[in-house]
Amino acid sequence: MKGFLLRLAAKLAAGLVMVFTVATFTFFLVHALPGNPGDAAYEGYVLGGMPPELARAKVSVVYGFTSHEPLVDQYLGYLGQLLHGNLGVSISYSGVPVADVIRAAVPWTVLPVLSGLLLSFLVGCTAGVVAALRRNSRSGSLLSLSGSLMAGVPSFVLALLLAFLFHTLWNVLPYGDTSDVTIAPGFTAEYLGSVATHAVLPVATYALLGYGGWLLTMKSSVASVLGDDFILAAELRGIAPATRMRYVGRNAVLPLFTTLALSVGHMFAGSVLIEDVFDYPGLGNLLLKSIGNRDYPLMGGAFLLITVTIVVANILAELLYSVIDPRVRR
Amino acid sequence: MTDPTPHHDGAATAGARPAEVAIRDLTVVYRTEHGDLPAVSHASLELRAGEITGLVGESGSGKSTLALSLLNAVPAPGRITSGSVEVAGVGDVTRLTGRRLRRARGGALGYVFQASQNSLNPLKTVGKQLLDLGRSHEVEDLRALVRRARELCERMGLDADRVLDSYQHELSGGMRQRVGIVLALVLNAEVLVLDEPTTALDMISQAAVLDIVRSVHRENGLATLVVTHDMGVVSEIADRLAVMYGGRIVEHGPAGELLRRPSHPYTRALIGATARIVGDTRLARALPGQPPDLTTLARRGCVFRDRCPLAMPVCEESDPALSEWTPGRFRACHADPVGRAPAPAAVPAPRAQDDPTGGRP
Repeated sequence: MKGFLLRLAAKLAAGLVMVFTVATFTFFLVHALPGNPGDAAYEGYVLGGMPPELARAKVSVVYGFTSHEPLVDQYLGYLGQLLHGNLGVSISYSGVPVADVIRAAVPWTVLPVLSGLLLSFLVGCTAGVVAALRRNSRSGSLLSLSGSLMAGVPSFVLALLLAFLFHTLWNVLPYGDTSDVTIAPGFTAEYLGSVATHAVLPVATYALLGYGGWLLTMKSSVASVLGDDFILAAELRGIAPATRMRYVGRNAVLPLFTTLALSVGHMFAGSVLIEDVFDYPGLGNLLLKSIGNRDYPLMGGAFLLITVTIVVANILAELLYSVIDPRVRR
Repeated sequence: MTDPTPHHDGAATAGARPAEVAIRDLTVVYRTEHGDLPAVSHASLELRAGEITGLVGESGSGKSTLALSLLNAVPAPGRITSGSVEVAGVGDVTRLTGRRLRRARGGALGYVFQASQNSLNPLKTVGKQLLDLGRSHEVEDLRALVRRARELCERMGLDADRVLDSYQHELSGGMRQRVGIVLALVLNAEVLVLDEPTTALDMISQAAVLDIVRSVHRENGLATLVVTHDMGVVSEIADRLAVMYGGRIVEHGPAGELLRRPSHPYTRALIGATARIVGDTRLARALPGQPPDLTTLARRGCVFRDRCPLAMPVCEESDPALSEWTPGRFRACHADPVGRAPAPAAVPAPRAQDDPTGGRP
């Protein structure tokens, strides 16, 4: 137990260092980008017929900063605010705190990504077990082939294809936004149903994207465990087939948990493209828009959140691993 | 059981005890692209209760395949094509399938893996795997099963509480080997098969494991088969010895006599190749040539003739049958038996071993 807590503390410390590093890099990289939102807005006001003096004053009021401070001072100020949990004020959503903007978007990314990931993991792993057990038969090779094909499809192609088939062509599933705008949000069956149907396409995309990878990894993992001595030993001890399958399953799925944790981060990054295709107002969509609008604080906040998610997912995977693998536990 | 092969009634051999296991004319074939390749050809062997039989041979000689066919567990693409393995109280194992086969494995037939192999599920404690074993064999009184396992553990010098609560990675090689023996015997097996029981163990653990094998064998009145390539091991514990080469049993008989006066040229070479701790190590002679694998195995004539110092023209033509050349001792060779006591009349008739009855109706 003591060793476990020590490892956990070490993981957390490493995670903090990671978050700090990413925050720093984001800050400087974003500021190195060409174009400046203050200048852009200033030019906009001037073009709109506002006197330059007034425009400058308005910019400094709206954006709440003076861009002539040295970069290092800005950076230190940013870190100080960050320590207080303050991510700054969004530029494109004028005046709204970044934390609020992000908080509104987070569930629309987290829920679809996690359910898609879970779905693809369950379906892919099950198919992988079957593919491994039947690897010398036609059905097994067909299953493996489906995995290889699905693993090779780029995310945006798949998203566009699904959107085209199920919305444009057959119009069986809604597209864009998180629910029907005519339905008032609330804890009603109608609203939740609408949310669910709107989530089908993004979730299906996430699930299908992961499916091939899980299938192929699980297949090779099961095949290698099947060749392990202890499986033959169990057979020669007359262990029941169902019990032997449990032995195989648990041993085979173990190495996949590391990949699962890593893929959480992968999926969040992938949500940028997929939410754009489905016009789904999640974190990925937000990030894309904030880049388009040169909304520095929002960009920084979104990047930071994705980093934190990945770090947390890795720590969780580590904890989970130590629960299920006795060799790591003690 | 009414096998007509005359040289295997075993009446002349020392013990009058009935055979616990009778392997008759067993042939195991591997299906490959090059056709059917025999890993074991027409092997016959009996294991008696209270006797330890050593099965020796180089790797690839078919000894492990033979051991696995005792449990009808020849790995694919291998297949038992003829012969039978009669186990007392179980019947012909080669004809068992499904549940009855599964219950025989781990039940009447205990199999112990090579020490270097990981024969335990790494994610479960030994105790939990013991319970899995009990449930698989529908043991009603699991407490009694655990008690019996504890007893066996203590008898083998293991701390039962600790071992049952351990995962495989927490046990040393020698301990794993003993746990393997516990799991093989906990359901009161009558036949114990040990595959390379001492390979990959240090000398001290080797001696300890052999001691344990000997004592559990004696206490439980088992019929034990020890498969090994190590002549030292068999000379230490075996009562009887069978030597395999190229899928055939080329010689068998009482261990002491066979080791002192080997008769088959291969056995002689094998013993001659064993380096000694005491005396001149240069006396060890390597056997020239390579042991055959399934693809290079001679299809006709004696499988050993290419490496045999006594090869004669007849060896090219026919495969010598295993026959009793002096009471209690069997060998498969065309050459004159060496080391034989004053010449008995019958020199084994050189004839091809192609017994058509093959033990099957």
